Amino acid sequence: MSPLLKTLENEVQIAALLFMAAVYALRLAWLFRFKSRKERTFAEGKEAAGIGHSLLNIAMPWAVESARKKPGVYLQFVVFHLGVAASIAATFIIPYAPGVFEVMAVVRIFQVIIGAAFLVGLMKLFRRLKNPAVRLISTADDYVSLVLMVLFFAAGFLAVPNTYRSSEAALIAFFALTAFFLVYVPFSKIGHYLYYPFSHFFLGRTMGHRGVYPLKRRERGGAR
Amino acid sequence: MTPLATTSQKKAREEKLGSVVEGRLKTYDPGTDNAKTFVALLRKRMTRQIAASLVACVHCGRCAESCHYYLARPDDPTMTPVWKADQIRRIFKRHVDWTGRVIPWWVDAWTPVDDGDLNRLKDVVFGTCSACRRCTLNCPMGVDTALLIRFARGLLTELGIVPEGVFNVSRDQWETGNQMAVTEDDYGETLQWMREELQAEMEDPAIDIPVDKPDCDFLYVINPREIKFDPRSIANAGRIFHVAGESWTLPGNGWDMTNFGLFSGDDSLGGWVAKNVYEAASRLRAKRIVISECGHGYRSTRWEGFNWAGVDQRLPIESVVVTLDRYLKEGRIKVDKAKNPEPVTFHDSCNIARSGGITEAPRRVLSRVCADFREMVPNRTENYCCTGGGGLLSMPEYRPLRLEAAKIKAEQLRATGAKLVCTMCHNCVDGLSDVIKHYKLDMKVVQVLDLVSRGIPR
Repeated sequence: MSPLLKTLENEVQIAALLFMAAVYALRLAWLFRFKSRKERTFAEGKEAAGIGHSLLNIAMPWAVESARKKPGVYLQFVVFHLGVAASIAATFIIPYAPGVFEVMAVVRIFQVIIGAAFLVGLMKLFRRLKNPAVRLISTADDYVSLVLMVLFFAAGFLAVPNTYRSSEAALIAFFALTAFFLVYVPFSKIGHYLYYPFSHFFLGRTMGHRGVYPLKRRERGGAR
Repeated sequence: MTPLATTSQKKAREEKLGSVVEGRLKTYDPGTDNAKTFVALLRKRMTRQIAASLVACVHCGRCAESCHYYLARPDDPTMTPVWKADQIRRIFKRHVDWTGRVIPWWVDAWTPVDDGDLNRLKDVVFGTCSACRRCTLNCPMGVDTALLIRFARGLLTELGIVPEGVFNVSRDQWETGNQMAVTEDDYGETLQWMREELQAEMEDPAIDIPVDKPDCDFLYVINPREIKFDPRSIANAGRIFHVAGESWTLPGNGWDMTNFGLFSGDDSLGGWVAKNVYEAASRLRAKRIVISECGHGYRSTRWEGFNWAGVDQRLPIESVVVTLDRYLKEGRIKVDKAKNPEPVTFHDSCNIARSGGITEAPRRVLSRVCADFREMVPNRTENYCCTGGGGLLSMPEYRPLRLEAAKIKAEQLRATGAKLVCTMCHNCVDGLSDVIKHYKLDMKVVQVLDLVSRGIPR
């Protein structure tokens, strides 16, 4: 292993992780600086159930029309985010539990997931460029974030075998991108996962309080 | 861009209307830096819920196909909910968020520089969204676009940069306590007229439409449209309450449960109007408040009004359709399905279903009173807006686009094959009537009270 890769896998990644954690903490403090409106009405439903429904909506494609009507797009979403999870897991497995990737079956599973996510990333990029409605709302951050993810998946695909002789360049690219992501993510749209719990918490609390969420059984899975 | 019409505002200033003089109703002042004030207000009024919806969007565009505007105009990318919300989000990014303040071009952050920019924003938030919240329930990130639209409307209302109809209705509600400027005499005379009709119809001189009767089981609050254009709905309610042996009353003051503050984004108007109703109930020592059939009135009085007014709820509040459902369940009224033989479908009001949580009570009632009840598809929280929501019926300048977007609703209605479309919202009655007329559909709009009243054997 070259000294550069060793530093990237360890010191640089740890420093970047600490930076990201610090920025996230500041970001949450920033969000909580805004006042929150107090709910003053009698509840019709259960807020906790509404919050739970809203947070888990993403795993219930049958309950959301936009996912139900386009299962292919929903599948893309699942594959893309599985690829993200697998790639992030690889950034920890490679330096701290390298034995995991000595099992070829595990390497192949990771490669299939990350490879599929790479293809989905390209499809998403194509859609962002081709669909006028999506193109109109796209910013430089949207394009760059997506391109970076595609590159990250490509590097991850090549890096997971974790063999220095044949794939050190891929490993260096993978960990360099990881460090860059950790620093850049809190300032870009990729940091959306930080806000996901909050936006869903607020919406779910309101809808749960009013008895809208959880959707009634006859509403889940489509309207009749 | 629709030019900013200020004739009514000018007249209101010249007439020194109380609401204008006291600063409750804001008028447009071209002499001030409105763009700067807009940004200052945006910062000041920002809440955690709004900020979360502003930062969470990933520009995936999944909301597009949940919006009737975009579905009717698929080739116009400015019709997507995300684009509309982005017109507010860009300003937030430029002035409040982090990245946009440092490198605005990277995230397309932007700031309005003059009144023309604000007027364009007015056209977006008032003219291209009925705030139906359909996109909100379809957003994978939980972004509440309708909340953002209302927030922006509120900022523009504070500057008087609003469609003239929005100003006029706000003025009427501030000045008279009701949206349609119904006078005390009109109110009293219409109720007397309905009282006499009901007595003649029921052949019972003792039957009453009580006003300001203390210690009743409930206070019944109505929509001024019922006084102006549809007084039969009050008589229908009176008849049903009489048959059910109910103890009820209308208030002399604070009877308007509609609330233009919901549409204009003006929390102070919203809180004041809602408080009038709550205070009427308190004054008359009513045990609960029952709201007649109105979508935004229900949402405002039952849910938003307390939060706007900053008062805690003390009495139970329900929609009259929930009251009817209870009467049927308890056997307090008997109905005959044969009295309503036509095929009937039900239109869920956005404010009652998606933002209010009532979807089953009207269905239980209609199943009991109609011989042929059929669902429209989609329905309940997935139903499409009547297209008259968000106060759009008071903004004639946006009518052509509204009716174009109504294509989706028209197709939905036509597919049911029903002859009657029932709704529990006066706003939807007008919205749907417009759709039916424009798209030449062979159906009529009715309300739940109409069908229940008709279903009770004479």
